[in-house]
Amino acid sequence: MSDASLPGPRAPILEIRSVAKRFDATQALEDVSLALYPGEIHALVGENGAGKSTLIKIMTGVHQPDRGEILLAGKPVTIASAAGAQRLGIAAIYQEPLLFPDLNVAENIFISHQDRGTFVGWGKMYRDAEEILAALGVSLDVKSPARGLTLAAQQSVEIAKAISMNVRVLIMDEPTASLSAHEVEELFKLARDLRGKGVAILFVSHRMEEVFEIADKVTVFRDGRLISTRLRDEATPQRAIADMVGREIDPTKRRLSVAQNDLLLSVRDLACEGVFEGVSFDLHRGEVLGFAGLIGAGRTDVGLALFGIEPATSGTITLNGKPIEVKSPRDGMNYGIAYVSEDRRQLGLVLPMAVFANISLPALKRYLNSVGLLRTSAERETANHFCQRLAIRTPSVDAEVAKLSGGNQQKVMLSKWLNTNPSILILDEPTRGVDVGSKAEVHAIIGHLASEGIGVIVISSDLPEVLALSDRVLVMREGRQMAILNHNEANPETVMSVAMGQRAAIPDEAQR
Amino acid sequence: MNWLKRNIRPEQVREFSLLALIVVAILIFGSLIDGYYTFRTFNRIASSVAIITVVAVGQTLVVLTRNIDLSVGSIVGFTAYFIGTWIGHDRDINPGLAVLASIAVGAGLGVFNGLLVAFGRVPAVVATLGTLAIYRGVLVDLSGAKTVTTDSLPQWLIDLPNFNVLPFGDLDVRALFAIALVIVVTFQVGAGYLSFARRFYAIGSNPEAAQLIGLPMRGVVFLAFVVCGALAGLGGFMFLARFGNITVEAGRGLELSVVAAVVVGGVNIFGGSGTVVGAMLGAVLIGTLEQSLFRLGISEFWLSAVLGLLILLAVASDAVILRRLRALWAKSELKLAAQSAAGRADERPA
Repeated sequence: MSDASLPGPRAPILEIRSVAKRFDATQALEDVSLALYPGEIHALVGENGAGKSTLIKIMTGVHQPDRGEILLAGKPVTIASAAGAQRLGIAAIYQEPLLFPDLNVAENIFISHQDRGTFVGWGKMYRDAEEILAALGVSLDVKSPARGLTLAAQQSVEIAKAISMNVRVLIMDEPTASLSAHEVEELFKLARDLRGKGVAILFVSHRMEEVFEIADKVTVFRDGRLISTRLRDEATPQRAIADMVGREIDPTKRRLSVAQNDLLLSVRDLACEGVFEGVSFDLHRGEVLGFAGLIGAGRTDVGLALFGIEPATSGTITLNGKPIEVKSPRDGMNYGIAYVSEDRRQLGLVLPMAVFANISLPALKRYLNSVGLLRTSAERETANHFCQRLAIRTPSVDAEVAKLSGGNQQKVMLSKWLNTNPSILILDEPTRGVDVGSKAEVHAIIGHLASEGIGVIVISSDLPEVLALSDRVLVMREGRQMAILNHNEANPETVMSVAMGQRAAIPDEAQR
Repeated sequence: MNWLKRNIRPEQVREFSLLALIVVAILIFGSLIDGYYTFRTFNRIASSVAIITVVAVGQTLVVLTRNIDLSVGSIVGFTAYFIGTWIGHDRDINPGLAVLASIAVGAGLGVFNGLLVAFGRVPAVVATLGTLAIYRGVLVDLSGAKTVTTDSLPQWLIDLPNFNVLPFGDLDVRALFAIALVIVVTFQVGAGYLSFARRFYAIGSNPEAAQLIGLPMRGVVFLAFVVCGALAGLGGFMFLARFGNITVEAGRGLELSVVAAVVVGGVNIFGGSGTVVGAMLGAVLIGTLEQSLFRLGISEFWLSAVLGLLILLAVASDAVILRRLRALWAKSELKLAAQSAAGRADERPA
């Protein structure tokens, strides 16, 4: 189905033919053929590790393909370096723009121009930069340093830079991941303008709704192969996701409830001064309670308070009928509470350390022998157990965590906290930055843990995820608890309208 | 205030405050030391500042690229000693040739530093700490612990430090200071207007991005070390002219003053920002402190401690004060942006 023969407006500007690339044991790309046409936005989707990044790196001259050829406007070319790619009119913008923070906007736009003479003509450079930005409809002070610009503004500078190099092929690699909705709109406007000017755009994103909003064609990669290329009208998100994971899944399918009647945790009027207030809920054994709300609504702060990282300043927490005080993470762990942070890299994992060492970290005491040294064999045994139980894909438990994919890192982090034998598990954004396949696996694991009687709190900005997983959904808005919705009344519309304050707060009789 | 913000960058505020600091230091020393406000004092400070400045200009280029050259003190001593010995043996050498030879010797030693850092991938701190010891060791070994004495030098060299280039009434601009001024102006203009020089800033500012757009990183870093070595060589010549008597200890510890001057002068130790003029202002402050503390009879060990403290303060203020200033500047820009994008803040992650 790999298809260069779909009708395009003109001849392709960039054509990739049977390209293959291998890194050590991994076949990153295999026999990939893709054609980009001028004036077309071509989306590229696929799980993490499907080969998108490798393709981008080959197109921008960072890597050389092992086999296959690249044709630019019909002529075979060798893209030897990043600078070479730019000379050919191939530019890329990334999620984190790569600007020079100490140079000003105009200098950033023209830094890679080799043809502007020995001396910097500041006046002309400022005028040229202003002209390009004005043509883009972006208002930026060309003399202000790139440091301190918003991400969106930095991306505009990147695009201006690409235009100044007479870009013919623009690669946008996850450009929207850190942008607000308004900024995404602005970016899309820019992308459509460029399309109108005949630029071929390769748009890489994890967000299906964006892909289907902007793309003319959708190509799916899986395991280094091109699975399908479809015109947007012939494709649907479900089909694309099915192609990505190789099986049909319903992203909104609900988990069956395994909640028991025993009350595990009871929280009343919990507040943290200046951060959140009025949080009251019950959590039962085997229950999954979702925390929904917009980013900044205070959901994470409630999680941090329950685990003791940022203790609450008032309110009561009752565990198994006994009032408890959680003043530190140590307290939280002693009471059987585990908190899996949303920020794997900063707060969750020690990336340069082995998988087994990460898993045993919060429970190291258990692995001491009689003279107080660590029994690494026991640590490895635990790690092997979790690798099997959670299907962690790693060469061995001695592998560095940094080398694993996002989904597998997430599973290592889960293992780490499950190893403390928690009765309450707080998961903060458990599937952020994780590919679709791993996401489904994490969801299955959560269901399994609930069936073992663990009370689970899932904090997630991914609404379908919250709805699919939760028995009940607690909705927060601007630091206040607005409602607890039962399984049958929680749907995207009700949750969003409460979270956005479109609907009055629902009192607490929603409690079971 | 808004006019100020539009026309002055936070970095320049720093340079002005440094200027104010120098004035304050001079006022304080003036009240402590009798007869401080004399041209004698000025000339002493000026010739001390001149050497630090010239070497600091080279160091600035290196620091801009996110590196550091700790071997400059050894290069100064090495050059001063060997050029001094050479001139002592052959007193008819053309002065211009002597200057060029000094620069060449320094550049040669800089080439070695540059090869180690840019192509050998040795971290600059380690590489130049090594060459600091090596250059000094070679000097001690080859010299056989003899010294260059003033008597052996030709008259033109002995007279050079007192040669008056531009007399303003009683105030002299003497040769060494004039050399420093020429170097500063040349490099300041070059750094601002040469396309090639902007790459020093780019590479230090974001090495990853520089790599990605194909800037010749190794070449630029190598060149920074060579130019730094060359200027240290020129500094060595000035050192020879100023002191005449050169032992194997010449220039030892100078790297501390030079790095202090650069960092105090507002060149970011993490690369990417800073100016040559700033480094000169830093050198003026350091030179003033050195000479004045010396006249107060304070031990040179205390001087080192003061320099160390200045480096720490400068780096700390870089981190704290500059960030505050930038935030202040950014705020006024945000106000403008806010109107067009109301409500954007709510969507930011907490």
